[in-house]
Amino acid sequence: MGQFFISILIILFGGFLSLVLAQQAKLMKIITVFLLSAGCLLGLMDAVLKLIQPGIAGASFRYLNVFSLAFKMDGLSGFFLVIIFAICLIAAIYSFHYMENSRNALRTAVNYFFFSILIASMALVVTAANMITFMLSWEIMSLSSFFLVIYKHNSAESRKAGYFYFIFSHVGAMFILAAFGIVYGYTGSFGFEAIGSLPEAAKILVFISSFIGFGSKAGVFPFHVWLPHAHPAAPSHISAVMSGVMIKTGIYGIIKMYILLNLHTPLFGNIVLFAGVISGILGIVYALGQQDLKRLLAYSSVENIGIILIGLGVGMIGVSSKNPLMAVLGFTGGFLHILNHSIFKSLLFMGAGMVLHKTGTRSIDALGGLLKNMKITGLAVIIGSLAICGLPPFNGFVGEFFIYIGGFKGVGLDKSAFVMSCFAIISLAVIGGLALACFTKVIGIAFQGEPRTKAAVNIDEKGPSMLFAMSILAGACVLIGIFPKIILWMPVKAVSALGLGFSRVPPEPFGQMAGNITLAATIFLVSLLLVTAIRWFFYRNKTITRSGTWGCGFTQPTVKMQYTGSSYASFILDFFRPAAPLDEDHPKITGRFPLNTYYTSHVNDIAELHMKRVIVNPILFLFDKLRWIQHGDIHLYIGYILLAIILLLFFI
Amino acid sequence: MIESIILWLLAVLVAPFFSGVILKVKAFFGGKKGPPLLINYYTLIKLFKKGSVYSTSTTVMFKLGPIISLGSALVVLMFLPIAGQDPIFSFNGDILFILYLMGLGRFFVIAAAMDTASPFEGMGAAREAYFPILCEATTFMILIFFYRLTGELQLSAYFTGGNTIGLWSLAGAPLIFIVISFFIILLTENSRVPVDDPATHLELTMIHEVMVLDHSGPDFGLIELGSFCKLFFYSTIVSRLIFPFDFGFSAIGCFVFIAGLIIVYVAVGVTESVIARYRMDKVPQFVLTSFALAFFATIITLEFIK
Repeated sequence: MGQFFISILIILFGGFLSLVLAQQAKLMKIITVFLLSAGCLLGLMDAVLKLIQPGIAGASFRYLNVFSLAFKMDGLSGFFLVIIFAICLIAAIYSFHYMENSRNALRTAVNYFFFSILIASMALVVTAANMITFMLSWEIMSLSSFFLVIYKHNSAESRKAGYFYFIFSHVGAMFILAAFGIVYGYTGSFGFEAIGSLPEAAKILVFISSFIGFGSKAGVFPFHVWLPHAHPAAPSHISAVMSGVMIKTGIYGIIKMYILLNLHTPLFGNIVLFAGVISGILGIVYALGQQDLKRLLAYSSVENIGIILIGLGVGMIGVSSKNPLMAVLGFTGGFLHILNHSIFKSLLFMGAGMVLHKTGTRSIDALGGLLKNMKITGLAVIIGSLAICGLPPFNGFVGEFFIYIGGFKGVGLDKSAFVMSCFAIISLAVIGGLALACFTKVIGIAFQGEPRTKAAVNIDEKGPSMLFAMSILAGACVLIGIFPKIILWMPVKAVSALGLGFSRVPPEPFGQMAGNITLAATIFLVSLLLVTAIRWFFYRNKTITRSGTWGCGFTQPTVKMQYTGSSYASFILDFFRPAAPLDEDHPKITGRFPLNTYYTSHVNDIAELHMKRVIVNPILFLFDKLRWIQHGDIHLYIGYILLAIILLLFFI
Repeated sequence: MIESIILWLLAVLVAPFFSGVILKVKAFFGGKKGPPLLINYYTLIKLFKKGSVYSTSTTVMFKLGPIISLGSALVVLMFLPIAGQDPIFSFNGDILFILYLMGLGRFFVIAAAMDTASPFEGMGAAREAYFPILCEATTFMILIFFYRLTGELQLSAYFTGGNTIGLWSLAGAPLIFIVISFFIILLTENSRVPVDDPATHLELTMIHEVMVLDHSGPDFGLIELGSFCKLFFYSTIVSRLIFPFDFGFSAIGCFVFIAGLIIVYVAVGVTESVIARYRMDKVPQFVLTSFALAFFATIITLEFIK
């Protein structure tokens, strides 16, 4: 574990130095980014080595003689560490030019400081070996990311986003704490190992409670409400890390709990799969309805968390129905999608960051034609979009392929396993189609066509570090899509480290499937070359003219006549109207020449809507009535505390 | 292998001919003589001879659209068992790859349409993005049905040799549902009446045709060839389902297969002649009917085939 702690220390030291050097902005950035990258690289190498040679490394420290802080690295944590360090490394590089325009050097420094803490705490979360260590790292992670979200603390929108995030992450943490509390109540130990000895009823309660807690971090519907607020508020490299990596710690928690509980009931699989299906479909429907690019991406994270949960759910159902192949395929697919999503989602957030940086707007309907001036960014975002739609030959397809195959294995079973597998397959198909609609909207409206407003005219794409970071990620999307073999061993190792009760994960079918994907992708690329050659042949010595777009007889087209994102999505949103109610506002058209008119629309998130109605409003009402307790007198406050402790002593 | 390659080449070459059959059937119903059966070849040759006009709004995506849509259609045909023969390539899960590859083709056709900044093409693109979502649900339901029967996830396990007749003997009655359901998918995915009218003259009512308004010359030819291949793919499957007999690689086998194909194309032509295009908001109901059919078929097999 030595190398791991050294890399954590380097990262933290980098964050600390940024505060010290806050006044020399340039120097601070160089040193901090260098140290963060170096730390991440070191950690990455260590994690990869740990994954290649699986073994369990551990370390524990006694802290104040009360708690023991224990850390452990196994295949599962190694897999998540690879993702954490790899994406944070790229995000740190990206941030070098992204943070350039900040006038306030101190704010940048504070941002780097909390960024370093976030990286370190995420790494500690996935290596924590007892509940105290886990909770401690978890809270540090939540708090540091909270400070990153309120980066623009002078804007009311950011503060609201931060508030949302704070409440959700802490209510979630309460649920996790409740789950740990039940465990402690039964076993009397803070260790993870004892969880397996709980009675069955308690296990179910622990799982559900921790699923809610971890789900609220991961962004599972309906606990996803904070995501679309927090992601747009944070700087883009932070959104990339939060969406690509941090929410995956929630998934890690769910998997970890599942493994520790070691209860192979179909209930867990069904819960996880059902939550996955709902998050997947609704997430992408809401994404389709967004006009804000980063909000759209945030909702699409909800969708991808859904796909990951579908994969894990398929795996869990495979375990409970004693079908090893289905179990392994489901888990491997889910893990692959965790890895792939972290790559293409950070890529897309970085692309969105570049757009935001250069145009100053996040509104899709204000953009257009960006591809002409932002060639690298445009290409990277197109690759990211193709990958996120799960299309071959890009990496998103690989994970979904495995989940599908696992799901189809379940079709051969009977009763609930059959129903749930069908459910998984059909919803994956629908999610795929919706994602295609959603990301053709992003590409078609924001990057293609003509600029809709001045913001999108005459822009450039500068910032070598940003372009470099995006190119690396886009390259990874293509490479993994064509040669899945180069990373397939990672999820396979992680799955075999789960110890699902199967002696060994057979590597042969995976190698074969990866080979098939490579073969198919090669065939496709060859046929593309063939068609390109044919096209070239027919275009030899031909006259090519350029002219305006055919306006179907209309001779005075303006850029305002282009299709907008809202109209593009409206057909599909109509279909999902009960789940995605639309608020529209426009005056009645009167007279022959209605000049001054406007139209605004907003797609409501039913989770947010009902949460406000059922939970927030009653609580506010109640607390309003209790306002007299809070009077500002310190003496009486201390009295309250004493009273509470004395009362508690009676009960315990 | 060599037979499969020959069949693949033949499929690409004759696909435009069969699409001509539809026009002939429609002309017959309209009491007209109609265009010659080889009309699509004349059109393709004419298009390939021309140059192109590109809109000033377009980028490289506009040129990628035709290449990728034809490229994916060609690859899809390589995985398709034609006339009950083994396809060129086949592996476990190839059907997933094929379906997603068609998705890739659609992505680029939509992107090429959005590239022109034309409101009409945007409208067509929005519809093109919408209806296939429902189709995919049906297609995967049909796959679940097939998987339930065979335990395999590749096209060759359903449509080569004696496999298809095996399906009929296992679950004949539900398979009729599947054939109807798949025919609806064929109509929807290939922009035929009653979902889309390829012969309409008003841009506002088109789906596929409006998306390719700005393509011209060889580019347009590639797109046309791609859509002929796509229709051929779906028709082959339906043809194989209605004539499941296995004659090996022989003249009679090919003859039966072609007869099946002609029946499918004539059926498309008849459908186009006797039904009007649905209003856009009725289309989802039409497509979801196919889902319901496939769903019931699966439920029936669940009870009767253990």
